[in-house]
Amino acid sequence: MKKLIWFTTITILFLVFIAPAFLALGIKMIPGENQPGYDPAQRLSIYQTRNVTQQFTSQDANLSAIGTSIRNPNLKNKKDIILTLFNENMEIIRTTTINGQNVEDGNFIKFVFEIVPNSENKTYFISLSSPDAGPEEMIEVFYSHNMPGWIEQYTYDQEVQPGGLPIVLYFKPVSKFAVIKDIYSNWFSRLLHLNSQKTS
Amino acid sequence: MRKLLVLAIFLRVLVAAFLFHPDIKTYNYQASFLKKGVFNIYTYLVENKKSLPLKDDFVYFPLTYLAVGSYQWIASPILGKSFDSWVASAGSSSVVEDPNIFKYLVVLKLPYLILDIVIAFLLMRFFENKEDKKKAFVYWLFNPFTIIMIYVFSNVDIFPVIFTILAFLMIKKQKLFPASVLLGVASGFKLYPLLFVPFLFLAGRNLKEKFILAATPLVTFGLIILPFISGAFFQSALVSGLTTGIFTSDFTTLGLSLLFFYAVLVDKKINLFNYWVSLFLIIFSFTLFHTQWLLWIAPFLVILSVKKSIYSRLIFFFGMVALAIPVLYQDRFMSISLFRIYSTWYDLVPTPFTIIQKVYDSNNLMAFLHSVLAAGSLVMTYKIFKEKEVL
Repeated sequence: MKKLIWFTTITILFLVFIAPAFLALGIKMIPGENQPGYDPAQRLSIYQTRNVTQQFTSQDANLSAIGTSIRNPNLKNKKDIILTLFNENMEIIRTTTINGQNVEDGNFIKFVFEIVPNSENKTYFISLSSPDAGPEEMIEVFYSHNMPGWIEQYTYDQEVQPGGLPIVLYFKPVSKFAVIKDIYSNWFSRLLHLNSQKTS
Repeated sequence: MRKLLVLAIFLRVLVAAFLFHPDIKTYNYQASFLKKGVFNIYTYLVENKKSLPLKDDFVYFPLTYLAVGSYQWIASPILGKSFDSWVASAGSSSVVEDPNIFKYLVVLKLPYLILDIVIAFLLMRFFENKEDKKKAFVYWLFNPFTIIMIYVFSNVDIFPVIFTILAFLMIKKQKLFPASVLLGVASGFKLYPLLFVPFLFLAGRNLKEKFILAATPLVTFGLIILPFISGAFFQSALVSGLTTGIFTSDFTTLGLSLLFFYAVLVDKKINLFNYWVSLFLIIFSFTLFHTQWLLWIAPFLVILSVKKSIYSRLIFFFGMVALAIPVLYQDRFMSISLFRIYSTWYDLVPTPFTIIQKVYDSNNLMAFLHSVLAAGSLVMTYKIFKEKEVL
């Protein structure tokens, strides 16, 4: 019985205190912020030469992926969907392609590319296109004019508008240890938050 | 014993506070309508689906709604005013990032903690000698499986489980009628105790007793659901996957039928405990089960482990295999996402299913584990019947 008591105690303490660190070893990139809210009714369609360009400022160094929600109505688009990353001089610095058949309708899709070092506080543009898709194979992205300040403006149909796509930027962490430290410090700060001790 | 109890409670509070499965928020959101005066939750949710932030049906049975809803009403001064907006929130990140979540989870899981401790003491009553009583107490409170099943997955099935334990305490005292009432009450929380009705029928000493024992749980259940009967109730609870899921495998039906016909045609003296345990061993052998269901059999396996210590290691092994199977489901909330309270970054970690899939077919691995569990369960069922008396 003593063995069982020790085994269970150690298992539970491992689960609560050590397992989060162990699982954090699997985190290869971390998001800058949560995905901004958007109105599902406001959408831009992308096909042939019709594409969308988004201007934004990177919040951190080592930009390694960009994600957004994409609609693929009736999963009709089975063509390439291309994300091109430009620097502020509109020079192409990264290109990444996924196939439409991997995009389920409304899914959050992450475009992963080679790390962009020194990306902190720099302005970039992304262009999202699906040039081989016909009008019946269009994909759609969501947009909103009320976006956080770092999602600056977007261009669609040659018109420039404020706000844009509800994108999430991902960055390669400095080290595994930094990720673990961030997770535990975030957890402790919420744990010690005054509200969690109060009753009304 | 007191020190062990304190340690057991400490471990449970840790898990209750820091591991989060979204089911607890869903059914507490639905149960929150009780304090607003909604009695028939089934029709209310269906009729107001368009205007509600969370659209899920209430898939549990009425006593679960009344028990969870009443407790929430009592605990509302501790939960605080912001609880209602948290429980109704549809935002997946904001829910786990709320600093009050630790308090909410501990308070919402407190009834489970109380019932869990009560079960430990009830299990002691199945034994006469002190050593066996202590074993039952320790086996229940210090196995990692029930802690995970109850506190990680916020297992509301602990309500019917406690009534089934009380029923078997009655059966031990040869009081079959109160036992069948208690099984009827248990089915008011979750339908599974009604699977035992045919065996209650067979346990009756004469035809009159047989009918009384079989009809009592059904009548009790009928009385509980009577005020809730509606199309919405049938659709949401009675024919939901959670209720009918047991019979998705033909092998389960075959196994349960074999058990029944064995009792009818072969067994001269029916031992209800053996049939109860075997019933669930067959179900978990062939059905794609929910982790929560494993709790149905857990206290009875503790009794079996104490009575027949030869089984204890085998049962521990079964526990590991049975818990490993749902972890392999392609459902993030069976593994990685249970840790989202620590950080939503875990959303970026692949599930065990995806990781294993890179080197081996995860579905094959699940089938392999299920086959191991089935083989072990069937052999154990055979041995239980061969050795006859357990309870």
